[in-house]
Amino acid sequence: MTMAPIEEAPAAGPPEPAQRVVDAALRCIARWGLAKTTLDDVAREAGYSRATVYRMFPGGKDGLVQAVAAEEVRRFFAGLAVVLDGAGTLEELLVGGMTEAARRVQGHTALQFLLAHELGAVLPHVAFANKAGVFDAAGAFARPYLERWMAPEQAARAAEWVTRVLLSYVACPAEDVDMTDAESVRALVRTFVLPGLRRPAAVDSSL
Amino acid sequence: MADDVRERILQAAFACVARYGLAKTTVEDAARAAGLSRATVYRYFPGGRDQLVREVISWEAGRFFARLAAAVAGAPDLPALLEEALVFAHEAVESHEVLQKVLQTEPEVLLGQLTVDADRIVGLVKVFLLPSFEAVALPAGAGAATVADYVARMVLSLIESPGRWDLTDRDQVKDLVRTELLAPLSQV
Repeated sequence: MTMAPIEEAPAAGPPEPAQRVVDAALRCIARWGLAKTTLDDVAREAGYSRATVYRMFPGGKDGLVQAVAAEEVRRFFAGLAVVLDGAGTLEELLVGGMTEAARRVQGHTALQFLLAHELGAVLPHVAFANKAGVFDAAGAFARPYLERWMAPEQAARAAEWVTRVLLSYVACPAEDVDMTDAESVRALVRTFVLPGLRRPAAVDSSL
Repeated sequence: MADDVRERILQAAFACVARYGLAKTTVEDAARAAGLSRATVYRYFPGGRDQLVREVISWEAGRFFARLAAAVAGAPDLPALLEEALVFAHEAVESHEVLQKVLQTEPEVLLGQLTVDADRIVGLVKVFLLPSFEAVALPAGAGAATVADYVARMVLSLIESPGRWDLTDRDQVKDLVRTELLAPLSQV
């Protein structure tokens, strides 16, 4: 699950009521986890009455949790887009994008709480068959950026491959790779990822 | 001898998980299925049910990769070995009834344990691949261990979730292995 740190939310004016509730929910989750967080806690944290929060999220806690997840995915990609928009080369795009994504995951206190204490709340949504959803979301987001440097079909392949690399090293860190460090990611990208993207997609029988 | 008893308990516990699932398997079930007393099971698994369930997952994961290693043992070269590994492992995951049932009905404990084991599993595959990478020319600045670690990770990622790839289609697997997976060797 990919969520942006709450402090990096768009800072234009006071947050919409729903955003205020989402941010309050994130603080509660970061403090106590998902299982122990109630809608009452979130209402109190947001400074709203219980009735107001229930009106905003008629689905109750499940509805709120879904809204929080959707909002955090949106913020994650919005933050990533800022970095990708500024990339002048394919290498910069990959290094900047992967580093920023890893930093956002590691800096997300609510997500980190869940990964440390309530894995069951996150993993089933992003593992095995459900990883396809992660590939789809990442692909839909990254393809237009990659298409500045390659054909659409190749961009789709590259988007999924880069997502695999990122997920593997973030979920199970390697001793000599720090995904939040741009130079470490650059070495990984140059050695392992770029050579695959610069080759024609056809089978190379010489290997 | 002790190893035999341990193995017998794990085998019995796996059979229980296949029948009842992870959450409903008890020390008593495993003891009965193994033909041993509860006390004996507790002697080998002092943490009781939770430890037994965790170790059964790691045990079956170990067996899975042993079957995979055996399946690819005859491959003539590295690309062929990786192709065979992807095709075999994908089929083995898809047709693993216990794994598929648990993923459908009670994924939390399983995925939690696989996450704990992730380092060890990457290590297993990496050690298996290492001799192949020691035998080929590598890109400047990357040792065989680093390349084997990367390729092991990507193989595991593909086995877990094939994404856009049809891993039952040999032509696609050939393309995948020679383009993305072995990209680090393409510049040498």
